[in-house]
Amino acid sequence: MNTDILIEYLPLYKDALFLTLRIGWQGIFLAFVIGLIGSAILHFKIPVLKSIVGVHIELFRNTPLLVQLFFIYFALPKVGIQVTAETCGKLGLGLLGGAYMIETFRSGLEAIPTIQTESALSLGMNDFQTLWHVILPQAVSISVPGLLANVIFLLKETSVFSTISLMDLMFTAKDLIGMYAKTIECLFLLVVFYLIMLLPISIIGAIVERRMRYGQFGD
Amino acid sequence: MKNNFVKRITSGLLVTGLLAASLTACGSSASTSEVAEEKEGKVEAAADADAGFRTVDEIKESGTINIGVFSDKSPFGYVDENGEYAGYDVYFAERIGKDLGVDINYVSTEAANRIEYLQTGKVDIILANFTVTEERAQEVDFALPYMNVALGVVSPSDAVIESLDDIGADDQVIVISGTTAETYLTKNYPDIKLQKYDAYAEAKTAFENGNGVAWANDNTEVIAFAIENEGYEVGIPSLGDQDTIAPAVTKGNESLLNWLNDEIESLGSENFFHADYEETLLDTYGADYEDTLVVEGGK
Repeated sequence: MNTDILIEYLPLYKDALFLTLRIGWQGIFLAFVIGLIGSAILHFKIPVLKSIVGVHIELFRNTPLLVQLFFIYFALPKVGIQVTAETCGKLGLGLLGGAYMIETFRSGLEAIPTIQTESALSLGMNDFQTLWHVILPQAVSISVPGLLANVIFLLKETSVFSTISLMDLMFTAKDLIGMYAKTIECLFLLVVFYLIMLLPISIIGAIVERRMRYGQFGD
Repeated sequence: MKNNFVKRITSGLLVTGLLAASLTACGSSASTSEVAEEKEGKVEAAADADAGFRTVDEIKESGTINIGVFSDKSPFGYVDENGEYAGYDVYFAERIGKDLGVDINYVSTEAANRIEYLQTGKVDIILANFTVTEERAQEVDFALPYMNVALGVVSPSDAVIESLDDIGADDQVIVISGTTAETYLTKNYPDIKLQKYDAYAEAKTAFENGNGVAWANDNTEVIAFAIENEGYEVGIPSLGDQDTIAPAVTKGNESLLNWLNDEIESLGSENFFHADYEETLLDTYGADYEDTLVVEGGK
C-alpha cells in the first residue's frame, strides 16, 4: 500500500462522502415524512389512501433500489419527465425508505395497547389528539431501533448510485481503479470512508436508543 | 440494555483500532526507501501472478478457457438475439478456442473491471476492445494488436460540437468509467465536466435522454452510434493519439502471451481479421473503414 496515493485520492473520497451524505440525508428525511404520513393513514384506516399506501409499500419493498433508480432516471425521460441525477437519487432513496419507514412506524403504533386509545377517547380526546399526545410519543420511541437500522440501511444503499452517474463512494473507488488500477489503496479508502460515515451513526444510535426508552408508560 | 450498549461501543472502537493498526502497518512499509519498495512490488506481483494465471498447458488440460468480453458493446462484443455472444472480438475469441482445442467460457466484463479480472485470474484473456495504454501495460501484458482506434466525440445534430473548446463551463460530457476517453479528458481537459457511467448501455441511454451535450468514447463506437441513430453527428472524429486494441493477459503469463502473438501473426497470412471485419463490422461501418480499423498480423 502506498501512502502517497492514499493522500492523493483523499479529496476525491471526501467529495464523494459529502455527496453521499447530502443525498442520503435529504432522501432519508423524505422517507421519514412519507413514513409518518403513511403510517398515520394506515392507523386511521382512511379509505382509498390506505390502498395507495399498501401498493407503495409492496411496490418499493419488493423491487431493488437499482431497478427503481433505473426507472426514474432512464425510463421517465422517455415520457418527457427529466430528472437530474441528484433528484433521482433523493427520490429513489425517499420512496424506498418511505416504504420501510411506514412499516417501522406502524409496528410502533401497533405495539401500543388498544386500552390506551380507548381510555383517551373516553376522556374526550378526539382521534388526532389521541394519536398526537398519547400514541405517537410512545410509538416513536419504540420505533427508534428500527428507524436507525433503516437509516444505516439507506445510507448503504447509496452504493448503487453509480448507475445514474453520481460519484458516490463506491463509484469513486471503481472509477479510480478503472483509470489508475491502484486497487488495494482504492478499496481500503472505500472501507474507511464507509466506516467514517456509518460508525458514528451506529454509536450515536446506541446512545439515543438508551435515552428514548423513557418514552414508555402504562406497563 | 446497558450491556448491549457497551458491546456496540466496544465493537465500534475495535474496528477503528484494527483499521488504525493496518494503516500504520502500511505506512511503515511505504516509508522504506524507493528501491526496497520497488523490489517489494516485484515480489508481490510475482506472488500474485503465481496464484492468478494459468499457462497454455494448464488451460488445455482443463479443457476450458475463460475469455472476458463485453456483452453490451455492439458490434464488438455483445449478446445477440439468440443469447449468443457475437461481434468482432468474439469472432477472434472463437478462433482462439478452436486453435487451442478448448471450450470457451465467456465472462461478461465492464470497462472498469477489465484489469481486475486478469489480476485475480477470473479470466485468462481479455478481448474486450482493450486499448493499449502505458498505464494499463504496467498492470497487464498486451499481445500484438488486432485493431486501430482513436477517440471520437458524438453530439446531437442540432448542436454539434466540433471542438472541445465549444463545450461550455456548465455542460457535461458523457464518458464511460474506465475507458481511454475518460483518462484522456481527465488528463488533458481537467475543466470539462464529465458525467460518468459504469456501463455502455447506461451511457447510451443517458445520452439519448439528453443528459449530456456530447459523448466521448472510442471513435469506432461513436461512429457506429451516429450511423445507427438518426439526429446525431460525430463532430470530432479523431481526438488524441491513434491507439491500438490488443488482447491482454495477466502480467507475467508469458506462455499464453507468446501463444497469442504467434496466433495473431499466423492468422495474418490468411487475412483473418479482414474476414472478421467483413463478417461482423461491415454492416455497421461499410467498406470505407476496413483498412483504417483492421490491423492484420499484429502490424
